[in-house]
Amino acid sequence: MTTPLLRAVAVARRFGDVVALAPTDVELHAGETVALVGPNGAGKSTLLSLLAGALEPSEGAVETEARVGWVPQRPAHYARLSARENLELFARLERVPGDRVDVLLDRFSLPPDRPSGDLSVGNRQRLNVALSLLADPQVLLLDEPTASLDPGQRRRVWEIVGEVRAGGGAVCFATQNLEETEHADRVLVLVDGRVVPASVDEVFA
Amino acid sequence: MSATLLLVRKDLRVLARSPLLLGALVAYPIVIAVLVGLVAGYASSKPRVAWVDEDNVPPVVEVAGRSFHVQTIVDEVSKNVTLVRLPAREAARQLASGRVVATITVPAGFVGTLETAARSPSLVLHTGTGALASRVTQQVQALVYQLNRRLQGAFIRANLAYVQLLLHGGGGSFLGRRFDVLGLDGTQRLLASMPPTKRVKAIQSFVHDARAGLAQTGAALTATAHPIELRQPKSHGRSWVLSSQVQSYGIALTVTFLALLLAAGAAAAERDEGTIARLRRGLVDRSQLVASKVALAAAVGVAVAAALAIVFGIVVEAGGVTGGEPWQRVPLLLVGVALAAAAVGAAGVLLGSLAREARTASLLAVLVVLPVVFLGLVPRGAVAAAWWVSQALPFAHAVRWFDAALYDSSPWRAVGVQTAWLLGIGAVLFGAARASVRRLTL
Repeated sequence: MTTPLLRAVAVARRFGDVVALAPTDVELHAGETVALVGPNGAGKSTLLSLLAGALEPSEGAVETEARVGWVPQRPAHYARLSARENLELFARLERVPGDRVDVLLDRFSLPPDRPSGDLSVGNRQRLNVALSLLADPQVLLLDEPTASLDPGQRRRVWEIVGEVRAGGGAVCFATQNLEETEHADRVLVLVDGRVVPASVDEVFA
Repeated sequence: MSATLLLVRKDLRVLARSPLLLGALVAYPIVIAVLVGLVAGYASSKPRVAWVDEDNVPPVVEVAGRSFHVQTIVDEVSKNVTLVRLPAREAARQLASGRVVATITVPAGFVGTLETAARSPSLVLHTGTGALASRVTQQVQALVYQLNRRLQGAFIRANLAYVQLLLHGGGGSFLGRRFDVLGLDGTQRLLASMPPTKRVKAIQSFVHDARAGLAQTGAALTATAHPIELRQPKSHGRSWVLSSQVQSYGIALTVTFLALLLAAGAAAAERDEGTIARLRRGLVDRSQLVASKVALAAAVGVAVAAALAIVFGIVVEAGGVTGGEPWQRVPLLLVGVALAAAAVGAAGVLLGSLAREARTASLLAVLVVLPVVFLGLVPRGAVAAAWWVSQALPFAHAVRWFDAALYDSSPWRAVGVQTAWLLGIGAVLFGAARASVRRLTL
């Protein structure tokens, strides 16, 4: 068995008395794609936020030496700044070479100079994905990445997923669209903050 | 460039692209400075007061045997008001229209009553109904006080003349009637020529005591006229105190308001835009995040305070306000502004983190800033508990810092003490803000 690129050991999160995620073990290995499915409020976004380091676990730990990219469910960028300025800011914070910004602007066909708050929902989500790719991640975590994209843009996202996996990376994505599990090698089903051994069909029956 | 500076630059850019907020930030210091300048200008200006003479006061009035040149005295004592001679009807019209702020009427019979020196004549004061009325009343009271001071010297001299008459005897007059007085000297001489009987000796003893007592009358009368004299030592300040105080409060209020709102809004906006989670993924630690908002508050506070001081200076210089603007002290003032805005900014981040949402944070900041400012205005002797609470907040120390920088000829001790306070309070607030920003990622 190869060393996982990312490992969560008994990672859990509580918000006050509410258990958003019970202690959970997850491993992401090189070259694999994992889908997270489950009903609303199952803990998919919480688990991805914990894996991404955006949320501190109440218990357990997340271990990784890899560069991790994260696409949050809701676009996370500064509305008053343009796509270029957002990318430049986060590139400097992540100490990524500046030419990466032009590559991503071109790759996602983003209008570079309009305030990102004025962009369409689809363009904002593309910027959201572009920001996650700044550091050329080895592990890519996507939280319902295709929710507001048209079919062409969805295809583009799955191409990116394929590129990361082909490059020896790992991908974990959350989705409510069961058809998208066909892009995954493994499916983790979450119910009430716990990974359950049930099949997708059983959960959504 | 460090992560903190990158975030500050980002926030300034975001601020510059918020037209309404930017417009308010530019207009705010101008409006406040003009208002503060006008207040300071008004404080040093002379209100226009109508002088209505219904007694046809002659140019020279004789009171208690002394001549007074009425116009000269009025000019000398009316330092704080501009007196304008007007007929009664015109004075009433101008008072109603606000062209004069008060009328002082000299009623018929005023001089006659005054010349008798037997009872006090009255002046009649009418003030407008505006906010200036209380100040005008104070100014006119000061004017009447000055007039009384001039007159009481003459009255004392006249009363002493009667005392001298009682002591030494001679001819005198009162209310136009002439009379001759034997006096205590004459009485003593008469008694000396009489046989020294027991009754004569008793009267001689009384005359002796009465002469000794009346000899002290001059000092006693003067002391009665001035039980307490007010002496004002020359001020050691470098600019006029009221002008500095008004400016200190204006800048402290503006900086407190802006820094608190800006830092609270900027911190909460990171959560609103979802960027806090991105930043907290190892890109920016909590100290850097708080520091960036504190630096933003300090930078904008300094810029707005500088604009405020410049516009205020122009207004007070143009208005000829006593003391003018201490331009060479403005850099020192801005150091204090940076400190105060930083401390308030830390409080703003704390509020923004607790509110977790920009609109709630802004509302909370507005609700918090008013009591903080009012607490800072409570004098120590008024409500001790309120004063002590105000010491734990940056506003009161900011006012003292700015006041010392603008006014004190040697400000360093006050500046040092207030700097220590602001640094201490700022450190506590920074720590609390750092702990609370964790809430933004929830």
